Amino acid sequence: MLERLPKHMKEKYKPISKIKIMTKTTNASGVGTAINRVEGHLKVMGKAKYASEFPVENKVYGQGINSTIAKGEIISIDTSKAEKLDGVLKIITYKNAEKLKDFDKEMTPIATDTIAPVLQSNKVHYYGEYVGLVVAETFEQAQYAASLVKFEYKKDPSAVIDFEKSKSKAYTPDNGTNYSRGNMEQGLSEADVVVEQTYNTPIEHHHPMELHAVIASWDNGKVTAYSSQQIVEDAKIAISSTFQIPKKDVRVISAFVGGGFGSKLNLDRHVIMGVMASKMVGRPVQVTVTRTQMFTNTNMRQQNEQKMRVGAKKDGTLTALSHETLSHTATNQEYQEPCGMVSKMLYKVPNNEVTYKLIPMNIQVPFAMRAPGEATGSFALESAMDEMAWKLKMDPLEFRIKNDTQTDLHENRPFSSRLLVECLRIGADKFGWKDRKSEPRTNKKGNWLIGYGVSAASRNSPYQKTYSKVILKLDEDKVFATIQMDATDIGTGSYTIIAQTASEYLKIPVEQVSVELGDSDFPITPGSGGSWGAASYCNGARAACENAIKTLKNNRNIKEEEDITVSELLKKNQLTKFEAEGMAEPSAEFEKYSVFSFGANFCEVWVDKDTGMYRIEKMVNVASAGKILNPKTAYGQIIGGLTMGVGMVMAEQTHVEPNFGNFITRSFADYHVPVNLDMANIDVIFLPEEDKVANKMGIKGIGELGITSVAASIANAIFNATGKRMRSLPITPEKLIVAGLEPGITA
Amino acid sequence: MRPFKYTGAQNKDQALQAFTATSHYLGGGTNLVDLMKEDVERPDQLIDINNLDYKKITSNDKGGLTLGAMLSNSETANHPEVRTNYPLLSMAMLSAATAQIRNMASNGGNLLQRTRCPYFFEVSMPCNKREPGSGCGALNGMNALHAIFGYSDSCIATNPSDMCVALAAIGATVEVQQTDGSSRMIVFTDLHRLPGDRPEKDTTLMQGELITAIHLPKPEFSDHYYYLKIRERSSYAFALVSVAAGLQVKSGVITKVGLAMGGVAHIPWKLTKAEGFLAGKKPTSENFKAAAALEMKDAKPFEANTYKVEMGKNAIVRALTQAYEREV
Repeated sequence: MLERLPKHMKEKYKPISKIKIMTKTTNASGVGTAINRVEGHLKVMGKAKYASEFPVENKVYGQGINSTIAKGEIISIDTSKAEKLDGVLKIITYKNAEKLKDFDKEMTPIATDTIAPVLQSNKVHYYGEYVGLVVAETFEQAQYAASLVKFEYKKDPSAVIDFEKSKSKAYTPDNGTNYSRGNMEQGLSEADVVVEQTYNTPIEHHHPMELHAVIASWDNGKVTAYSSQQIVEDAKIAISSTFQIPKKDVRVISAFVGGGFGSKLNLDRHVIMGVMASKMVGRPVQVTVTRTQMFTNTNMRQQNEQKMRVGAKKDGTLTALSHETLSHTATNQEYQEPCGMVSKMLYKVPNNEVTYKLIPMNIQVPFAMRAPGEATGSFALESAMDEMAWKLKMDPLEFRIKNDTQTDLHENRPFSSRLLVECLRIGADKFGWKDRKSEPRTNKKGNWLIGYGVSAASRNSPYQKTYSKVILKLDEDKVFATIQMDATDIGTGSYTIIAQTASEYLKIPVEQVSVELGDSDFPITPGSGGSWGAASYCNGARAACENAIKTLKNNRNIKEEEDITVSELLKKNQLTKFEAEGMAEPSAEFEKYSVFSFGANFCEVWVDKDTGMYRIEKMVNVASAGKILNPKTAYGQIIGGLTMGVGMVMAEQTHVEPNFGNFITRSFADYHVPVNLDMANIDVIFLPEEDKVANKMGIKGIGELGITSVAASIANAIFNATGKRMRSLPITPEKLIVAGLEPGITA
Repeated sequence: MRPFKYTGAQNKDQALQAFTATSHYLGGGTNLVDLMKEDVERPDQLIDINNLDYKKITSNDKGGLTLGAMLSNSETANHPEVRTNYPLLSMAMLSAATAQIRNMASNGGNLLQRTRCPYFFEVSMPCNKREPGSGCGALNGMNALHAIFGYSDSCIATNPSDMCVALAAIGATVEVQQTDGSSRMIVFTDLHRLPGDRPEKDTTLMQGELITAIHLPKPEFSDHYYYLKIRERSSYAFALVSVAAGLQVKSGVITKVGLAMGGVAHIPWKLTKAEGFLAGKKPTSENFKAAAALEMKDAKPFEANTYKVEMGKNAIVRALTQAYEREV
């Protein structure tokens, strides 16, 4: 395998990655220290329980059956063969399913707490939609029986399955997201140079390692669901509203989650099928979504066609920027990815327009996938910026810096802090940007064409109301603390950073802190998603710890500023156990600012001149994301984001079969994610950033910053290497080999 | 998965005796078991041949090596004699799949792995190879990864093996055991067949025949060899196009050529014309280009896989160049 690597790469064929931490730490295990994951040992021992691993007694298995047409009706169902099999307990279809709450209107927008009606009619809206569930004693029996249930369909030839051929069906969603400031056409007329290009991104799938799964029990109208979710509270709401039962009768447990990337933000229909099946067979039912069903039944990122128009003066001053996105949604539910978000706020441009159109298609409803909006939108914007810099004969780095803004022109308010220029400058220095050759195809080594690329990244840092509870126990001189909240750890490190927060504010070692998460009986949090988890969870935990100390001091008339250990406090209160709750939420100040994380990606790409294969030789990522709670877990987030970004560029795409409407990409054999050898030497640099507007702890989101604009930096490097402008993701050898050179560039 | 009978064979006689029309021999299972899970392969019986004594690498009377059919791909590719004398084969085999799969996969099984055409894998789609007469979904569907040579209206799928491409270039012979107890030899390029109107048949093996060994000729390409695999990621991906190139060069003249392509046809595609053209010529870039052009002019791509023509041409030239320039 090493054969085809250039010599210099063979020599350093070892996984190296470096983190540079430029933040300071205080407490040995408190906020800011690079401690190991507190739940790490549980995970490597296999003791961390994921949804399908809970030892629920008397459990049986459900296997979903998927439609094999894109649109139409079920005309008959033959269950006779399947029913005769050993172990089969129930076959549920629309004919015998429990009646559920349905959508009140057409094209209901999908949200994190949206109901998930399933098996309610004989109508089929997309290929792969659930049309049945077989419940059996064993997984194998359920699976085999599911393959024997025969459905006969009446196909509706009006199915919309071809994006390219269906553009005339596009509509403007009624959600108020179209936006403009200034006058776009005037801005373009003032420009000396105009770039007008279209960028395409395909359907992508989240594919967390842990399959979506649920073990659901219906017990006298009370539901318990061990379900892999990012937001347990919203899952609870979705179950109670789908079944029209009181919220208090639903409990959702999501103790460990093996990745979500947005696919587990909402409650998917397999959970509802599991609950329904449990009600019908009177036993707990486990439903695990197969990897192939992960394509059709657990969300996706939709295809986007983004048309960019950029105008600039000769000196590089931006005069106009428009970002038009054409995407698709389901025929019965609506989702629109905010691709133009980044174009509204990243640069100082007076004339700006962002629009959206959606084609209703007979494909499952798309939903948020890591950095929805930014991941795809920044590919378009940061590619177009690079094209403009090339036309202006400007250094793309300087071009970006020239158009920096400290005011969010979209919201017309200042950024709470914005270190984008610092990210770009420091990154350029660490990367060696000065060695870049501005003319494509001039940096060569053997069969390789070498290119450098840069892109800017931004991702807003939402912060939401969060409750938590702390339980303190005194054991001799030591205080042991337990934090409880319904937060989730989707692999990001929530357990660890929450424990560090408690350690910081209670001033006890992290070893004396335990964290209990993912149970809807615990205090409510916004869950994990949208890069809001860390800030919300830690400030929530902080509030409970601060409340505990404050109450214990007040009870004994101890002054707030007095430095006294929590163990002494408990003793003075003559308590061995004490509980306190806390709540944190955005301040009034927060609303006056735009709060974002910023970053810059640099990469060096080597493109094989004959085969179209390329290697990402080196990447430098600089992030300015507020207080870095734990450099190790933060690093993991950035590396994970970069890797997903590399996947976006190199290979990830889901194809829709143009005649049948199914995803022809149906396993990891067809849906390629990066392998270790695809990854570069990566340097991650966290800039020190104090942002007390963001929240009391100064925490900003980092889970989505890493993936943002990676695609553009690599595409820009490929242009710098080859002179080929790759405007359609993924950039595969098959595309590169037939792509033409940009005008004015010679081979 | 459908229920099936499992029979563990301890020797070839037991295996052959147990065979029925709806049986499959089970080697490493890396392809077969996957296909059973997908409901594509539906055998009533699996005859496990992992205990059969075909796990040796021995010298044969042609001055070459004989590879046991039940030896794993890893053991074969990493065997010192294979590495030294058949580095082209080793390189091709190590470019395939992942270390885990290569540890499981057997040599015999590698020769019989089935296409990765997505229409073959999805039972709700038409596929003549899986279900004769149901049609070819790929013909007017998604065919960017499909054949550009030797296909028919019935099937445009490609053979996914890397090992087979190297074996076609090297010129191997396959030994098979027949159900009546006799054995026969099949020239490697006769093992796989073009789809014609019987795409369900990948090979010329007869029912119940069991591959026992692969005989390699005396080593000819141990100095000048290269396996170029073009794919979407650095490992664990099937080739878009691959080329196995072996050269023998004496006094600045090519005396022997072994050249085959993967990812372009229903069979490992032996480049006979290019081989003939290059024999006796100098190993120059012009000659390599002419040889590549000679082969690729017969390509009949679909709209979505037109890229394979340019890619194939470049790949042939590059593989030959790398093979020739390799320092001994």
